[in-house]
Amino acid sequence: MTYQLSRENQHSKISFQAMASPCEVLLTTFDQSLIKEIAETTCSETRRIEQKFSRYVKNNLCWQMNQSHGQPVTIDQETFQLLNFAKNMYQLSDGKFDITSGVLRKIWQFKPQAKPPSQIEINNLLPLIGFEKINYDEITFTMPEGMEIDFGGIGKEYCVDFITNTITPICKQHQINFLVNFGGDLSANQHKDNFEGWKVGLENADNPQLADTVIDIKQGAVATSGSTKRFFEYQGKTYSHILNPLTGKTIEGGPRSVSVFAQSCVLAGSMSTLALLQGAQAEDFLKENQVKYICCW
Amino acid sequence: MGVEPWERDLLAKPEMAINSSPMDESTDEHIYFSKEASSGGKSFAGGGCGCN
Amino acid sequence: MQLNKKVKLSVAEKLALAATALMSGATGAADTEDVATESKDNEWSFVGSVLAYNETDRVQAVELLFSADKQYGDAGNLSLKVVLDALTGASASGAIPQPTVQTFTRPSGNGQYTIAAYDTPLDDTFRDGRGQFNVSWTDAIDQDSRYTVGSNLSKEFDYLSLSFNGEYARDFNKRNTTLSAGISFAFDTVTPKGGMPIPLATMVVDQGQFATRDDFLTAFNATRSATEENIDTTELLLGWTQVVNRQMIMQFNYSYSDVNGYLTDPFKVLSVIDNNAQTQSIVYENRPDSKKQHAFFALGKYHLDESVTSLSYRYVTNDWELDSHTIDFKWHFYGDNNTFWEPHIRFYQQTAAEFYNTYLQDGQPLPEFASADYRLGDMDAITLGIKYGFELSGGNRAEIRAEYYNQTPKANGPELVAATKGLDLYPELDAVFLQFTYFF
Repeated sequence: MTYQLSRENQHSKISFQAMASPCEVLLTTFDQSLIKEIAETTCSETRRIEQKFSRYVKNNLCWQMNQSHGQPVTIDQETFQLLNFAKNMYQLSDGKFDITSGVLRKIWQFKPQAKPPSQIEINNLLPLIGFEKINYDEITFTMPEGMEIDFGGIGKEYCVDFITNTITPICKQHQINFLVNFGGDLSANQHKDNFEGWKVGLENADNPQLADTVIDIKQGAVATSGSTKRFFEYQGKTYSHILNPLTGKTIEGGPRSVSVFAQSCVLAGSMSTLALLQGAQAEDFLKENQVKYICCW
Repeated sequence: MGVEPWERDLLAKPEMAINSSPMDESTDEHIYFSKEASSGGKSFAGGGCGCN
Repeated sequence: MQLNKKVKLSVAEKLALAATALMSGATGAADTEDVATESKDNEWSFVGSVLAYNETDRVQAVELLFSADKQYGDAGNLSLKVVLDALTGASASGAIPQPTVQTFTRPSGNGQYTIAAYDTPLDDTFRDGRGQFNVSWTDAIDQDSRYTVGSNLSKEFDYLSLSFNGEYARDFNKRNTTLSAGISFAFDTVTPKGGMPIPLATMVVDQGQFATRDDFLTAFNATRSATEENIDTTELLLGWTQVVNRQMIMQFNYSYSDVNGYLTDPFKVLSVIDNNAQTQSIVYENRPDSKKQHAFFALGKYHLDESVTSLSYRYVTNDWELDSHTIDFKWHFYGDNNTFWEPHIRFYQQTAAEFYNTYLQDGQPLPEFASADYRLGDMDAITLGIKYGFELSGGNRAEIRAEYYNQTPKANGPELVAATKGLDLYPELDAVFLQFTYFF
């Protein structure tokens, strides 16, 4: 994986492309050897995670799980923990967040001129959805034939937190403040006082509405869910790309995107995702949980 | 002065709580109450005794 | 690990636990999943603790503490605590040492005790058990404010204390600032065996001058007044807690207390000595029946890279002209495998109450108030301690700490009777205590 290094006024920047997004790490240091070390680590770990969990990579772990035809697949500790987290999300959303819901993409094409699927098509797919149908422990994973899992809903945020945790010791040691920003999902860590904070435009590649929103962050994380591009209109009705795995239909009336501030990117991302799944009640949900957020309707 | 909610990572640790060891606090209060003339100031002492 | 969550978990809090488990790489991820999905409502959490306290040649005590917390609804919290003490040993009576053997009548009038030459007179009748029960209830009023009400009951053989308190706290400025105000009322009853001595009455000592025991008792009872007295305490507490930045939090408290009633210690006495420092008589002490006290307390906690420091200062002043300064410092170091080390040092200094006298002088008029209780005199004290915290195999936490405490009473001014020079009027006191606490 290739990366670019550049020098700004107050900090250095590492940039590269991964997980279908522009990725950046900003560091308040100009020490070239340190920057290079951090860049190498960041790129290799990002690639490792992407290669392991992306459903677009053939023969990786995610692919093996999806091609297992009901047979047990050996998994590792990291996968076990991601599955546990997905299970928590599934339970806390009453089934609305489900990493097995990806099969719905076969019938919902979120592009212009698409049309919504028929109820028969939906009914045929619903039996193949449901996290509770998965069996797993720390060593093996078993899933009924025809089902699919997709770590896309948590993978990028997980990667941001993983990179944050990985580079924290060295940044702490050298008192470097840093920002990890993977396409709008970001996390900052402060290790030196008298720091003004990072000014970050929340511009999501998909969402021009957020472009004007600039936030200040020194410590903590922000993640954004939702987009404006991935929807279509059919017979005068707009269909969002947020799908309810329980009904197989889109969730309407919700905000276009939700950004949440939290202590970690995984937490921010899961809160924004759960908020979107509440549809029109998204803001009530966020207020109830007393999180800071930016909602675009 | 102060922090945003998402910056409470360190403040959230139990050691950073104002009263992080209530059991120790309560026995210390009792010992010093019986050995010194001054007591209190942190919280309500909770249970006077004849040991003074 | 952190079982003392005070409120029912919201979706965000459950997700925060799940996210922590995901990133921690902990093998116990499956447990966290249960924590994250089960409501914390109706779950008890317990703390048990045992303390062994030992003073060189004086008091020994064992204390058992047990507390239980339970949550109700979103923010309701019920907290119960039981404390049981057992004490034996002796404490300084206030009389000064003599080059000869001294004989004293026990406070109850039943029997005598003798003190060897040059020894500090210690009253060994002191032997007591104590039981204490606390209950408190906290609940939210709205998103930013909450109240606490509580009650304490403490019972000893000759002492009963009952108190009630209420507190209101409100958060401001994104919960970075918390202001609180509380009030407490305590009602104590003192019923010492043998009754209250008449203030500054001379102790009657049976040295063969009484023909019968009844003659002695008649004389002893003539030094006694009531058998029961009360102490009423009102205390006001104002608090300000402030988050300074990501690493630092501070607390400032002011408290005012007004204590009225029988503040004399019925077991304490003074020696009345002549110019040769020879004891002529022993009189019972007498203290004013009211005390008004102001206390100022400041605490700062600072999170360093791999440790947490905690520094507090307290200034107490009262209308007995007794002032004190306390400085307390703890340094919490994180160790491997969820352990920690915490060294502790505390300095305490007080100036004497206006009516404190190491002894009274024969031939001079008796003052209205007088006490030789060294705890009202000039004093320095230091505590050195260390605490170690660790996780047991089942995942529960435990802590053990050892503290060494040294008191150095001092003369408040030049010695009035020069002949006391050869006597140890201000003996030091050393104490060691060990405490083990278990969280489950």
